[in-house]
Amino acid sequence: MTGSVESVAFDTRHREQAADTFGMWVFIGSEAMLFGSIMLVFLIAHISYGPAFAAASKHLSLTLGTVNTAVLITSSFAMALAHLLSTARRWRDAALALTATALLGIVFLAIKGSEYAMEFHEGIAPVLGAPFTFDGPDPVHAQLFFSLYFAMTALHGLHLIGGIAVVGWLLAFWRRTGPASRGRRVQAVGLYWHFVDVVWVFLFPVLYLIDR
Amino acid sequence: MSEIRKLTLAYLGLMALLALTVGSSFIDLGGFNPALNLAFAAAKAGIIAILFMHLARTEPLARLAVAAAGLWLAILFGLTLAGQATGGI
Repeated sequence: MTGSVESVAFDTRHREQAADTFGMWVFIGSEAMLFGSIMLVFLIAHISYGPAFAAASKHLSLTLGTVNTAVLITSSFAMALAHLLSTARRWRDAALALTATALLGIVFLAIKGSEYAMEFHEGIAPVLGAPFTFDGPDPVHAQLFFSLYFAMTALHGLHLIGGIAVVGWLLAFWRRTGPASRGRRVQAVGLYWHFVDVVWVFLFPVLYLIDR
Repeated sequence: MSEIRKLTLAYLGLMALLALTVGSSFIDLGGFNPALNLAFAAAKAGIIAILFMHLARTEPLARLAVAAAGLWLAILFGLTLAGQATGGI
């Protein structure tokens, strides 16, 4: 047992695993504060400027948002399978499931990117100095909706890019990583990946389904 | 129940909840649509936390970290929304 710990700080593999899990959950808790705060800002703005937010939300693509939610849920399923397969020590299959997870993450970003492109083209992307033109009621607060939409989805997208990078790093060093470390790393990155999925699960109805 | 079966059922449940979320948004339920959307989102988050992240099986310390995050978020949302409701914000 003692030989399979990664850090000298731990006597046994079990204690190292427990510390990993605890550390990941504390990190996820702090991330929940970050996303919770920005969602609260959105909620207050929504309560204050309901009609403008409802009109603005109708300009988002519900089809692409729904497809992307399905893609991200599927990626989480692939990640859960990767964890299960690594506990069964089926390393080859676990690596395949991790690859599928990362690829689905890339598909999500590609769809999100095409949505952004459409929004820039339509003139409803008040970011990076792009012109904002909105012909509905209350364009000032519609602009606030789109600013918050871009802030929230971009922050989520950055987290997903981070997740894809870590999964890629895990796969790049897969062959050189010992079995015990592989399992632990899959579990830790899996917790993060599922959390990023949970954030999207809330962002999707909050942004796309206002007064549909 | 085998572990893989459990994960597959969780996945199918998540997809069904997604279909319900999108489907219900086309039905006018008055003021209940946003509440229903959030209830479906919370159900999805619960499935992911319990079946994909194994929250129920994890160390008590980790569950304490989650409870602490939930408590602080409740204070953040509770006080802000109370301020909003009473015209303080």
